[in-house]
Amino acid sequence: MSRKAPGGARAAGNGASVLPAISTEDMCLVCKTSRYLNKDMEFLINPECYHSMCSSCVNRLFNDGPNQCPYAGCHRTLRRKGFRSAFFGDLSVEREVDIRRRVAAVFNQAEDDFETLRDYNNYLQMVEDLTFDLVSGGDAQRRAAEATLQQWEAEHKADIERNRKAGKEADEQSRRRLAAERDAARQRRVEALREAEEEKRERVRSREAELDSLAQGEAGSGAQRVQLKRRGQAAAHRAVEAAVSTAVSAADVGRLSIRGLKEKKKAPAPEGRTIRLGAWTLYKLHPGLTHPGVEKYKIDPPHITGGYSFDEYTARAMFEAFAGLGVFIEDEKEVGIGLSAGEVATISAGIAAVGDKMELD
Amino acid sequence: MATEDARYRQSSQYQLWSFSPTQLAAMREQTNTAARTRIAERLASLPAPSSNLSAPTSTANTPDPDGASTPALPEFLTAPEEALLVTHYTSELMRAGDHAEMSDEIKATAAAFFRRFYVTNSIMTYPPTEMLIVSLFFACKAEGSFVSISEFGKTFGRDHPEDILAGEFLLCQGLRFAIDVKHPFRALRGAIMELSTLPDIEPSRIAAAEHRAREILRFSPLITDAYFHYTPSQIMFAALSLADRSLAERLITQTFHYVAPPPNNSGVDTPISSGPDGAIPLPKKLPLRSNPAEDKSQIIGSHLRDRVLGAIEACRDMLARELPERRDHWTNKAVVKAQINPLRKKLKQCRDPERWNLVELQRARREQAARKADSEDGEPADRAGNGHSNSLAGDAAVFGEALPPKRRKVVEGRKGLDDPFGGPL
Repeated sequence: MSRKAPGGARAAGNGASVLPAISTEDMCLVCKTSRYLNKDMEFLINPECYHSMCSSCVNRLFNDGPNQCPYAGCHRTLRRKGFRSAFFGDLSVEREVDIRRRVAAVFNQAEDDFETLRDYNNYLQMVEDLTFDLVSGGDAQRRAAEATLQQWEAEHKADIERNRKAGKEADEQSRRRLAAERDAARQRRVEALREAEEEKRERVRSREAELDSLAQGEAGSGAQRVQLKRRGQAAAHRAVEAAVSTAVSAADVGRLSIRGLKEKKKAPAPEGRTIRLGAWTLYKLHPGLTHPGVEKYKIDPPHITGGYSFDEYTARAMFEAFAGLGVFIEDEKEVGIGLSAGEVATISAGIAAVGDKMELD
Repeated sequence: MATEDARYRQSSQYQLWSFSPTQLAAMREQTNTAARTRIAERLASLPAPSSNLSAPTSTANTPDPDGASTPALPEFLTAPEEALLVTHYTSELMRAGDHAEMSDEIKATAAAFFRRFYVTNSIMTYPPTEMLIVSLFFACKAEGSFVSISEFGKTFGRDHPEDILAGEFLLCQGLRFAIDVKHPFRALRGAIMELSTLPDIEPSRIAAAEHRAREILRFSPLITDAYFHYTPSQIMFAALSLADRSLAERLITQTFHYVAPPPNNSGVDTPISSGPDGAIPLPKKLPLRSNPAEDKSQIIGSHLRDRVLGAIEACRDMLARELPERRDHWTNKAVVKAQINPLRKKLKQCRDPERWNLVELQRARREQAARKADSEDGEPADRAGNGHSNSLAGDAAVFGEALPPKRRKVVEGRKGLDDPFGGPL
């Protein structure tokens, strides 16, 4: 019976390079039961050879322990435990995904493990080649790739384990962050709802107040003003509240986090930036630097609101004051940049003189 | 050596427009001789009607050394005379800038443009009165204050914008497209900021020094060659030193603070040359420290400080020759009459007939370019057929010397091919 199985099954004998397309999605190729007869029929595969069969066949054949695959020419020994239902309809895809999962578990280095991006890319290329060999290479290629994989696994056991743990941790973290984000979002939504309600109530209240005042025959303008004022107060109050709550939530969640954005470390506070000339400091940008000509702009709204940076101006002025101070055009244009031989001799003589003195001391 | 200095060395002002005095003089001489030969050629080959304008006076001036067939050549300006004229026109330029109420930076940029342009181009070749206005206009743009050309033209009594625009590209070429001019004005503010932080100096003294220094910077470096020979910061220190000498020296000592205060010679000139007597005695006055590296930097620092002081001193001398009080000198009628007018008269005789009218020149160039584009291969015939054969050769002479266009440069295989702006001047 099974000898009459389609050619696909025969080819599958030498492994899984050519898989049986499930041409008969509704019929088990082993027992020829069709879905027509059994509506709850379930097809299972074993990642050893990816031959699919119905669950009753699996129970029948493998309940008593390991047995050979019933497909003609397939001599794999299968176990009951290995069977599962396929996620993908196309079994070749199912198989590729399995292989990729396995390779990824072994080759789990992260980009940080490499010195340059180029190295990392080369590594990815190597892994991809290997995967390709495993998935759709010939027999020899597959065997070689398998050997490489195992060798790598054996040699780098510790590394792999470490990376796996790190990956798990990262997953955990991101999950936690997502949860926190969701929480915060929910919080915000609730808050917004509450606020809307508050607003509504407020409006009703003010309206009632207005009507009351009208009923008492007072001037409407006064009531209007009262209402406006109240509304303004409410808004301001809310703003304060919101600021507080965001501060709290910021403290809770850490910071508003955008996925994929690396968290940067805060730059150390700039304090008296210095610009060095060779070995010694030419000038220092200390905070007291200012100029009367600049002072009047510090209270000028167009300059302040425009975001004009007075520190930048100071830095530039200081830079220009000292840039090129040590450039001697006459010498450099005729002789070249740097110290002339005579000067070097002079300097070294000076150094030697100091050195002598120091020895005397 | 230092980051600031290295950054300054990258500027076009340093790379293209800084020269030693001898280099500058040599260049001016070269420009002058080139212009002489070219103008002589052109005057000789001038067709009869236009030569009538200049010939009668010029024949009276000088006997013709070349031959009988050509009309007599006028007397040319010498390089120093040219320089004097350029200085005169620079002062005119600043007057024009004042008239148009331009900012200090614009005027200074325009003056720098003008002087740079006439380093590689002779004043006999291109009209200074036109280039002066072009410089001002272009400086407005370079400093980011964009005026409309018609408005600008009205200020200077030029009705047609074309009059000004004709020279604009020419000016750019002459500047080798180095449009950023670094000025000492902001540097002065930086120095004042630094001085204000010193505790023992009265603010009124600083304010007075700044006022005076700024006045000097507005005039003296622009009318001299200071922008060619010194860096903005050196010019600034020189001006500050002219305004208040001890303040400037204080700042320098403060700057090279590893160095012990200099010997008390407020009246005596600081040593200009940094010879052995300048560098060696100083370390002995220093308090000895245990760290040899520190000692080393002290010595190099003192050495550098002396050199800086020397440069500032030299710049100060240059500026002192043209203090702002000399502004009147250049506009003084008697002086102009005595010194400038004879030169102007001379200039009238010997100016380049082909290039004097910028509008005409630009039109001719455009036509030539169009013609060239039309008949790329028929060029030799075109040149032969052209009445005056010197037009292309003349261009080669002008641009070959001053600003060689890329194509010609390759053909002639000049040195300095790797310089994007052309060969060395």
